[in-house]
Amino acid sequence: MTVMTAPPRPSQRATRPVRAGSRAAGRPSATSTLILLLGAAYCLLPVAWVLVASSKSASELFSTFTFAPSTHLVENVTTLSGYRGGLFWRWMANTALYAGVGGLASVLVSGMAGYGLAKFRFAGKKAIFNVLLAGVLVPGVVLAIPQYLLLAKVGLTNTYWAVLLPSIISPYGIYLARIYAAAAVPDDVVEAARTDGAREGRIFRSIAVPMMLPGLVTVFLFQFVAIWNNFMLPYIMLGDDKLFPITVGLSGLLNQGASQPAMYTSVITGALLSVIPLIALFLTLQRYWQVDLAAGAVKA
Amino acid sequence: MLAPYGFLAPAAVLFAAFLALPIGYAAYLSLRTVKVSGLGLGKGSRREIWAGLDNYARSLSDPEFLGSVGRVGLYGLIVVPTMLGLALLFALLLDSRRTRGRNFSRVAIFLPYAVPAVISSLLWGFLYLPAVSPFYYVFQHAGWDVPTIMSSRLVVFAVANIAVWGGTGFNMVVIYTALKAIPTELYEAATIDGASELAIAWRIKIPIVMPALIMTFVFSMIATLQVFAEPVTLKPLTNTISSTWTPLMKVYRDAFTRDDLYSAAATSVVIAAATFILSFGFLRLVQNRAFSQEK
Amino acid sequence: MRLHTGTRAATIVAATALLAAACSGGTSSSTTTDAATTAAAANEKVELTFWTWAPNMDKVVEGWNAAHPDIHVTVNKQDGGDPAVTKLLTAIKAGSGAPDIMQAEYQKIPTLVSADALADIKGDIDPGLAKQFPDGVWNAVTLGGDSVYAVPQDSGPMEFYYRTDVFDQLGLTVPTTWAEFADVAAKLHTADPTKYLGTFSAADAGWFTGLAQQAGASWWGIDGNAWSVSINDAATLKVADYWGGLVESGVIDNKPMYTPEWNAALNNGTQVGWLSAVWAPGVLAGNAADTAGKWKMAPMPQWDAAKPSTGNWGGSAVAVTSQSKHAKESAQFITWLNTDQKAVTSLVKEAGIYPANIPAQTEALASPPAFFSNQPDFYTLAGKIAQTAGSFTFGPNVNVAYSAYNDEFGKAAEAKSKAAFTAAVQSMQKITIEDLKTSGFSVK
Repeated sequence: MTVMTAPPRPSQRATRPVRAGSRAAGRPSATSTLILLLGAAYCLLPVAWVLVASSKSASELFSTFTFAPSTHLVENVTTLSGYRGGLFWRWMANTALYAGVGGLASVLVSGMAGYGLAKFRFAGKKAIFNVLLAGVLVPGVVLAIPQYLLLAKVGLTNTYWAVLLPSIISPYGIYLARIYAAAAVPDDVVEAARTDGAREGRIFRSIAVPMMLPGLVTVFLFQFVAIWNNFMLPYIMLGDDKLFPITVGLSGLLNQGASQPAMYTSVITGALLSVIPLIALFLTLQRYWQVDLAAGAVKA
Repeated sequence: MLAPYGFLAPAAVLFAAFLALPIGYAAYLSLRTVKVSGLGLGKGSRREIWAGLDNYARSLSDPEFLGSVGRVGLYGLIVVPTMLGLALLFALLLDSRRTRGRNFSRVAIFLPYAVPAVISSLLWGFLYLPAVSPFYYVFQHAGWDVPTIMSSRLVVFAVANIAVWGGTGFNMVVIYTALKAIPTELYEAATIDGASELAIAWRIKIPIVMPALIMTFVFSMIATLQVFAEPVTLKPLTNTISSTWTPLMKVYRDAFTRDDLYSAAATSVVIAAATFILSFGFLRLVQNRAFSQEK
Repeated sequence: MRLHTGTRAATIVAATALLAAACSGGTSSSTTTDAATTAAAANEKVELTFWTWAPNMDKVVEGWNAAHPDIHVTVNKQDGGDPAVTKLLTAIKAGSGAPDIMQAEYQKIPTLVSADALADIKGDIDPGLAKQFPDGVWNAVTLGGDSVYAVPQDSGPMEFYYRTDVFDQLGLTVPTTWAEFADVAAKLHTADPTKYLGTFSAADAGWFTGLAQQAGASWWGIDGNAWSVSINDAATLKVADYWGGLVESGVIDNKPMYTPEWNAALNNGTQVGWLSAVWAPGVLAGNAADTAGKWKMAPMPQWDAAKPSTGNWGGSAVAVTSQSKHAKESAQFITWLNTDQKAVTSLVKEAGIYPANIPAQTEALASPPAFFSNQPDFYTLAGKIAQTAGSFTFGPNVNVAYSAYNDEFGKAAEAKSKAAFTAAVQSMQKITIEDLKTSGFSVK
């Protein structure tokens, strides 16, 4: 793990000059456009299937051609919404809470740790970083039961906390934040602020965070999605289905045991509805990456 | 100076509580086992005792475990190069102004990352199983005899495809973010000199994003060794994925199906150690090359 | 969160506040056992939590809650089968987090008892309760001893379901013996190679167990103070050999049930028969609604036509967990749920189960399931078949045997070889007995 501690490449970002339209090095290329669109098609194909499948009734799902759409979307959404008094929407809200609050807290914790590691020299720095990173080596499946046993000791299982707290710490997020802090926050700017007598907390808040913003947005997005998709942790921690996130809830509709039919149409409709907020989030956050492009530059 | 410790404190506390402590607990459990006496039905008929290294010995000598390691090796050889190759290709295309449809493609390619494994298995199941797959529908009508993807010889590709599908977008965003940090003037000169985009990508862009590539490689390798969600969710659809198909599936089976947390803990310690050695070894290997231009 | 020294970004405060707000909402709304204890001490309402996967159970429980203002039951719906048990066992190990009441399949009861997860409710129930259930079912909740670990809810006697339209069209007769079943399977598949009379599913251990039970197998046994394991007895080997032959010759499919492909086959009529249990109408209605009226149910094909028998697939009981602080109230509730006429009728209507309670059956099963309205005597026939179920003892490591079934028969079904089928039975026996020995159980 030694290489990970090697100082990331010196920042060019802040000192970087105009980065205007000069990258536009010519006419649109048909080949590269085609390749990229093929990639997009490969990724979208199964998603398109979800869209088509969620418009089918339960028996059409298994009897009509896979990509032949039908007219039952509204009906499927109504059925799903009616399931146990609108429990599905509660799962959506729970997921938003787990992923949103957990993601924000994770960005804060990772951002602070990454900044601390990138911009300070102190005893034990290398060791701390290596230990934090080593957390990646142990898979979540293994940790879920010990985490449960430990949280049970403080009576936090089957609460929102049980899913939120373990989701905040992200070795990967800390790693990324360190890279971004090293690259985006120039040492001389920090030094100048210190000379002016600014306190460390203030430097972080009003100088480092804005500079690291695009990177922090990336960390937030990754952690948000990671929590959104997490199955094992909430599955083990929660007994009350009113606290379930969407993954655990939908899996329950699918695994009803041999003597009950799996609720395929509801699961597929639920999957479609649950992907929509993620697309919206991604589109919103994209802007921050564009801000990055324009930072310190006149955008063409 | 206390400031850096202050910045690290929240992470350190959370790390200790939710990673270090459970890891330590798992390590402790790996040395323990439960002994039942008699029929094991009355109260107090099971005791937890020290097992020494028994769990490790059993785990390492289990032919199923060794088989799963071999399978994961093959799986990794398929997934990691394909996924990272595609991620790099797409990132470079996104970074090139000559490509159209970039905003659309960026979202589209990232989208699978947002689909939970529970759903993606269902989704790919419909596309894999001949009776419900549109592909096999086409093959059949075209009169081609295409082998089923979930047969024992090909199932590793079926699983790999889901991993590539789900992971490419994530790695693409990491590499893309790194590409955007490259100051334009670095290759403006080259452009003026008439170097092709391909040459610029190969000689300037790729070397500069090498640290990001190495990082994505290491993390993909770790994810490969921990492959779990994709095969587990495909398993009910086929006879060809056993409950110990990957090392982590064995861990899951021991802990969850067999209620033997102790063996599961031992196997996971072995997996973590192997992951550590592999990633450490790889980093040592590439260290000089990857970071030579940094200083 | 306040451990940092120099910094105090406003964002931290904001995030902490958000977290606190979000989480206090969660903790106060979730009922914990502690809260329930306090309530009981104050002689108020007793709060019970109930983990179950039966659909619409909350509607059934409404009837109880309306009539019992002092004992309130909250339903927490879980995933069916193994996962709920895993979760319960984890909570038992942790010492907290288990519900008061838990639905458990019969084959899981020895495992749960062995982990000390279930309370003995003998003292909290009416001793006459035993008489209201079939002996085999009652035996499953007492493990043949003096304790009572659960009250039976439903059972799943196996039956043969077939498509009358296809049978008529091809002039096939309903098989009454396994020899006839093999003939019909061959005739059907020859007449139309896309069609199968059934599939051998390596994913459904409970299904194969039922088939073995029908042939006279009982895989575990208690012999004095030791367990015996006889998965490789003559009966099971006979069943494996039979199915291996059908799969090898290709007249029976080798793909798992409960996949999208299987659902499609139910819909398009390529799956012409299904060896299933009494709960099958619910599954067929959910997966292939358009085939209503085309299916009929018949007794299982027999090994010995003179001595008709069947096996069980599925079925569950409701237990009180060892962590419940209200065992008495919980026992009262589960007795009501599974013996009260209104409750049982509601279970049949809302959850589509086949009740184990004999006195309540007649009224609850007065009319056939809606999907089988073309067979008015559905439940009369089912009742007769249920009485022919053989007895079967489950051991403390059914989970191990079942996961061995999935792996070993998965390989065998893929290999499509008769020899591999019987070899799979031998592997199951070996794996199961070795696991018992390693854990320290006394084994004969």
